[in-house]
Amino acid sequence: MRSQFVLRVVLIFALTPACFGAHSASTTSASHPSPPTYVVTNDDAGIVFDENTISYFIAGGSPSAPSLTYQNSVPIGGVGGGGGNFGASSIVSLPDSNAQCLYVSNAGSGAIASVNIQSQALAGTFSASPTDAGTSNGIGLALNRNYLYASFTDSNTIATFQILPGCQLSFVNDTNVAGLNGGGIYAIAANATILIVTYGDGSIQSFNVSGGVPISNNDEQNSTGYIADNNNLPSGIDITQDGHYAIFGDGAILTTVEVSDLTSGRLAATRSYQLGASATAVSPTAVGPGIGSANVRLSPDERLLFISNNQSGNITAGFFNPATGGVSPGCISPRLSGFYNPWFYLGSMVTENTSGSGGVLYVAEFGKQSSIGILNINVSGGTCGFTESANSPVSDPVSGAALISLWAYPPRPF
Amino acid sequence: MDIYKSGYFGADYTGVGMRNIFRLLQVLLMATLAAGGFATAWAQAPICPPRPVSGTLVQNPPDISSQNGVLSVDLTLQNQQGTDGYMHYCYVYMSQGQQMEAPTLRLNPGDQLILNLTNNIQEPFDSFPQKLKLKFKNRHMLMPMQMGGTHQAGAPDDPCHGTQVLPSSTNIHFHGLNVPPVCHQDDVINTLIQSGDPTFQYDTQIPANEPPGMYWYHPHAHGFTFTQVAGGASGAIIVEGSNPLTDGLTEHVIVIRQEFPTSGGGDPEDGPSILTVNFQPAIANLGLPFINAQVGHREFWRVVNAGTTAVLNLQMQYGGVAQPLQVIALDGIPLTTPTNYTTINLPPAGRAEFIAPALPSGQQGVFLTAGYNSGPIGDVDPPAPLVRIRPSQQSMQTYQAKHHPATTPIATKRFANLRFLTPTSQRNLYFSEEAISSNGPTSLFITVVGQKPRVFHMDDPPAITTNVGAVEDWTIENRSGEAHVFHMHQLHFLVMEVDGVPVTNPDMLDTVTIPAWSGSGAYHSVKVRMDFRDPNIAGTFVYHCHILDHEDGGMMAKIQVNPAN
Repeated sequence: MRSQFVLRVVLIFALTPACFGAHSASTTSASHPSPPTYVVTNDDAGIVFDENTISYFIAGGSPSAPSLTYQNSVPIGGVGGGGGNFGASSIVSLPDSNAQCLYVSNAGSGAIASVNIQSQALAGTFSASPTDAGTSNGIGLALNRNYLYASFTDSNTIATFQILPGCQLSFVNDTNVAGLNGGGIYAIAANATILIVTYGDGSIQSFNVSGGVPISNNDEQNSTGYIADNNNLPSGIDITQDGHYAIFGDGAILTTVEVSDLTSGRLAATRSYQLGASATAVSPTAVGPGIGSANVRLSPDERLLFISNNQSGNITAGFFNPATGGVSPGCISPRLSGFYNPWFYLGSMVTENTSGSGGVLYVAEFGKQSSIGILNINVSGGTCGFTESANSPVSDPVSGAALISLWAYPPRPF
Repeated sequence: MDIYKSGYFGADYTGVGMRNIFRLLQVLLMATLAAGGFATAWAQAPICPPRPVSGTLVQNPPDISSQNGVLSVDLTLQNQQGTDGYMHYCYVYMSQGQQMEAPTLRLNPGDQLILNLTNNIQEPFDSFPQKLKLKFKNRHMLMPMQMGGTHQAGAPDDPCHGTQVLPSSTNIHFHGLNVPPVCHQDDVINTLIQSGDPTFQYDTQIPANEPPGMYWYHPHAHGFTFTQVAGGASGAIIVEGSNPLTDGLTEHVIVIRQEFPTSGGGDPEDGPSILTVNFQPAIANLGLPFINAQVGHREFWRVVNAGTTAVLNLQMQYGGVAQPLQVIALDGIPLTTPTNYTTINLPPAGRAEFIAPALPSGQQGVFLTAGYNSGPIGDVDPPAPLVRIRPSQQSMQTYQAKHHPATTPIATKRFANLRFLTPTSQRNLYFSEEAISSNGPTSLFITVVGQKPRVFHMDDPPAITTNVGAVEDWTIENRSGEAHVFHMHQLHFLVMEVDGVPVTNPDMLDTVTIPAWSGSGAYHSVKVRMDFRDPNIAGTFVYHCHILDHEDGGMMAKIQVNPAN
């Protein structure tokens, strides 16, 4: 207990705003900015008798062998979901190094926990309607400066909470949603004006959230990728910093992403980019680089698009053009260490640095023992590559078989 | 020595770990909580006949035998929710004014089988919680699926042209019988009997050259097969034949089923289930089902794994020691040479016929599954005792294997000499999966290499087209992290290679397990030889994974065999 208290004091000190210096310059290799980066996981414990926790890891190691060191875990007043949709974020904060609050879903108990980032104190747990539920595939989260949105996968509702001082939330209302083809809600993403939703049936939709409560933009549509191949299901979402493009990672046999232009304030028809190679040969390599591509994450400079190949254990990168929204093939990592033993799915990703390529990529690894994969991002000219750290993976001692979502502090600035 | 459908793969249960141990505890908890339900499940007047309670003598299923070359039986498939909440599906027939369930159909090669099936399935159709439904991962299951036919539910026209697969739809597949893939015989693509339809007649002839052995029947309405089979809708078929090794031995006909109780705690995603033996729950703390074995006498066991998902590694232990089981047939086909194995790998739908060694005086035995490692993302198939073997000084009051006139020698049976033929085609197929969530649904595929993976739909065109007379070698890989079970309708196949290594004494099977990919190295694979020489094979039929939630989830495809030119 004593050592944990000491660790917590150290962490509080490290996270004190006074300690936050200016962000380091853009880098394309693994160097550690000051202040240190923290990776926080939603452990998502779905065991009825266990309280869900978030766990703190601190970045370290050397530039050639970055590492994470487990710090401590904080109970967050509810029950997790034990996994869920790969592409849905279940731990979020404002994209701001001055952010005060961390919001985490407790899918098993159907509530949102709020944690003060600096003190690590649980600020509260907040429920929406009694009928809102997300035990099967989790509760996705998205936010802007004024509102937090929570997507409940069982009730197919999006709850709107007003963000109040002191990391408090006030439930506003529920919005009932449904996919075009009968599918349930999958994931959400938001900025100040738009909330974007994916459904598990190939359809997507957006809402105007300028006034807080989601108002449909009447643009629900099947994605172009889905129309071409109904194995392609838009899943996870990222939005460019200028709000010009929404990027969808598809659940797909071959790595596929889709991009929609948001200039009109609504979703334009998506452009689909298949980045994965075709699997035609009968050999171990014919698994096809990249099975599943549900999670997408832009690099801080928006030049790279990171993609979790959820079922083949790789990370793919595409080159993203922020001016056109185009994506071109980049590179793919080797299958990450520990694939199928002890972990078997990849989840969300964050970068260590808040500028440039991000330097180091951290990825959630879901399995009978969940862990965090660590990769150096190497960009040179028009090529890219990944090198998995010798210190990867780092076990999440608390998560068990549940880690899907993680988050980094300081966060990416959008 | 272990047998994995003849020792093909190293069977183990080494992938346990803390997670699986926890799941095992969950299973045991579920079993305990569900047990009370079983004891009282039939307190109310049932639609289905009562099923045996735990801890009692295992009785062979009731027999119906052919008479003068014909076996005619009227079966009604109906469902009933027990007081434990579990949805039972039962094949019922009337015998001497009493309802009986799931008879064993006994025929001789060349006999005619007439089965009149009435569909009396009523709402509610299932009792699975949402999370377990998600486990039955796919986009189609539990939702009606359109077909191209014209038959309307309840109409007197021909159900050979079904229009829509509903939760109340059904049909029958004669698993393993080498009979034509046509309506009224063994078609599952177009034949749909809706609840309220007039009684539908199956009329087929057991081929005169059908190998003698154990087969079975079960529903096969795509999308709802799991629900109906998990509810208990299945029964054994025995094609009789004389065998000097077994004639006169006490015969045990064992149908192992798998139930998914909905009461109690635990995480249904982890697949807690209870195995039953001739409908008797095999729950250790309630008292296992038992069989009285005559001390000093060998006995003949015919076992079918009629479970939906569980891969079994069967053992017979006397005094804690696994005994050599003399296997004489697999999937209904006699082995060229009976062989002793201590462990028999039996996937869902697999059958094994073996002679158990004599139980020594003063000893007890147990028939069990030693557990199976179905891979990092596979179902949990834990070790479990199934039947207690008690010593008895008298033979059981069970069916004595009949002495039948000598049938056609095995050497001239169907598929004879297949091993020595030159294949006319080589094909490569693979099992694969894609998911967008850790909890499902998952898209499940069986794909011909070079084609686009797709979740099976009843309207799909054939993935493979061939001709009567063809002999083909298919290499089937498993590119996923869980085991899959390849099953071919209408045909047995010869397992030529396993993981690229030729099999010394290949066996004819209709169902074979392909273990999970470990995450590195080569995929597990089998090379099987398909025999399309019999003209009765002409038609369109299916192959699929026989883990039934995978099958319902779309891990299936069609093959069309055109008549010979």
